[in-house]
Amino acid sequence: MTAKTVHKNLGLSEMSWRSSLGVTKTVLIARFKIVLRYKGAIVFDMILPVILAALPILLGVAIAGQAAAQNFEDATGTENYKLYMLIGASTFIVVTLMLWLVGYWIRREMETGTLESVYASPAKRVEVLSGVTLYALIRSLMAFAFAMVVGSFIFQVDLFQGEMALALAFVVIGIIPLWGISFAFGALILKVKEADSLIQVMQWVVAFFMGIFFPITVFPPFLRYVALSFPPTWMTNGVRASLLDVAYFFGTWYLDLAVLLAFAAVLPLVGYTVFLRTERRIKKNEGVGQF
Amino acid sequence: MTMSEPIIAIENISKTFTSKERGKGRKRKKKVEALKDVSLEIFDGEVFGLLGPNGAGKTTLIKCLTTLLLPTSGTAWINGFNLQKEENKVRASIGCMLMGERGLYWKLTGRENLDYFGALYYIPKNVRRERIDYLVDLLELSDFVDRTVETYSSGQKMILAFAKSLINDAPILFLDEPTVTMDVHAARNLRSIVRNLNKEGHTIIYTTHLMAEADELCDRVAIIDRGEIIALGPPSELKSSIPQESVVDVEGVIPESARNRIVEIPGIRTAVVKDETNGKTMLGIICDNSRRVLPKIIDVLVEEDAIIEYISPQEVTLEDVFIAKTGRSLSIDTREIVTPKDAGK
Ligand SMILES: Nc1ncnc2c1ncn2[C@@H]1O[C@H](COP(=O)(O)OP(=O)(O)O)[C@@H](O)[C@H]1O
Ligand SMILES: [Mg+2]
Repeated sequence: MTAKTVHKNLGLSEMSWRSSLGVTKTVLIARFKIVLRYKGAIVFDMILPVILAALPILLGVAIAGQAAAQNFEDATGTENYKLYMLIGASTFIVVTLMLWLVGYWIRREMETGTLESVYASPAKRVEVLSGVTLYALIRSLMAFAFAMVVGSFIFQVDLFQGEMALALAFVVIGIIPLWGISFAFGALILKVKEADSLIQVMQWVVAFFMGIFFPITVFPPFLRYVALSFPPTWMTNGVRASLLDVAYFFGTWYLDLAVLLAFAAVLPLVGYTVFLRTERRIKKNEGVGQF
Repeated sequence: MTMSEPIIAIENISKTFTSKERGKGRKRKKKVEALKDVSLEIFDGEVFGLLGPNGAGKTTLIKCLTTLLLPTSGTAWINGFNLQKEENKVRASIGCMLMGERGLYWKLTGRENLDYFGALYYIPKNVRRERIDYLVDLLELSDFVDRTVETYSSGQKMILAFAKSLINDAPILFLDEPTVTMDVHAARNLRSIVRNLNKEGHTIIYTTHLMAEADELCDRVAIIDRGEIIALGPPSELKSSIPQESVVDVEGVIPESARNRIVEIPGIRTAVVKDETNGKTMLGIICDNSRRVLPKIIDVLVEEDAIIEYISPQEVTLEDVFIAKTGRSLSIDTREIVTPKDAGK
């Protein structure tokens, strides 16, 4: 393969690992600058889980009264339904932020035309996506921590019980497979050029299957398998089991954690591959500038 | 001008879009051949114009060359790199302004936008800062560069988008109708900067549907129509392909019947509407010898009750070259309009 034209230079571009990291860092910082310039966006993330947890807690008290805790223990193995709900709602916010922020990012950048500008630059896909994903990660962990702390004050529950370190391990490892799913979901949005209604629907499907307010053992067998094939279900249950007297799906923490690790090893690669393929198919036809 | 070596070599690029046409009940695939086997060499150090009406395929060609679209077939070499095999190096070799004022972050300031894209072009932080300062001076951005883009006027967004295309100081610059929404003054300013950049050694590919712009700015022009290059060369050479004294322009209220009869006059090659505003028509007539046919044209216009405001033999323009080759004017939109009317029959 011999070049058929002259070669002059690459302008000011200097390709190195430093400049690669620079892309990720710049994208990450720009994401935060932009979201902070929309008033209230981040505060909303932090308050939402508290409200989300308050609903079933108050509902439980209203319906079951004094028997609420006892009834709940019969179903789940723990009487601490308040912490149970708070964990469910807080992991839910992590899951939704992680899953949809990439999709929303793609959709928004398609509309403004910035996605095409990003694609015209030499920055590699993985460098840019890492920036966006890191942003989603930081934003969701902040929301998780805030919701847990504030929620524990409001609902008068003690966070420091059970195995804290293990609970954190379930959160951290549980987030990794979400990257993969979010890339695949981003690819879908790249293709269908629509995000809002798609995310609205998926949001409730996810909330339902990952069991934010109830144990998935109440599902009929088929739905239970569907729920188990979804990594966040393992994450939520893992956090609950490590803090409360809820059972692990496989009986022990290390087996459940191993399942999450397996998801974590496979899904990001699968998701990234799906993304690159979709992108290629789109470039073969109309390109990412079409919206 | 001394011709140097090519810096862009386009080899048989074709691009077909497939879109779904939705009508009542039935879905059909619709194919648009936006580029048909285009081959072209662009030389190092020239300002190269792509001139053609709306829908001719200019943007599609630019998007293929900037790696935003994959051609259906064919390839190209840019700055010594292969379009498909060395995508990233191709991208680093070019700066581009593709979609007017779009492609900027509204919640970031102008400076933050430039810094962001600078990072995406792998420009080290300190180099980036100097480059941005330089561009702020060059393009006179200082009044607004530190405000968020959402507060900009359309013209300010446009000039920032232009600055963005210069951020990496690439040897090759693609500008896709950069003056399309600018006022006359801003457009002139931009063209003069383009000329200076060219003097500094940058190769520039400039698309436009305005023949005067191509004529004034470009060393060579390719006239593109319906995905094909129908003429190529320096503007003067293209214009001299049509004999002098062969173009007549008529302006006024000209009924359709008059137009139809004018084309029938012996010695007239074609007559097309160049412009139509407020009921007034600008008719461009290409003939073998304007002196000989002018009386006959006037006869027809009088007989058909036309109101003539202006009639005169003209200097040949690039638009006349286009008209002579296609029988159409440059201002006609040649995009295929997708209508659902015949779906579901
Ligand atoms: N994404 C697309 N899907 C289908 N047709 C397209 C698409 N983009 C462009 N076209 C068609 O391709 C042709 C060339 O368009 P374009 O390159 O935008 O022309 P120009 O830039 O010269 O105005 C037009 O007929 C246009 O309608
Ligand atoms: Mg165009």
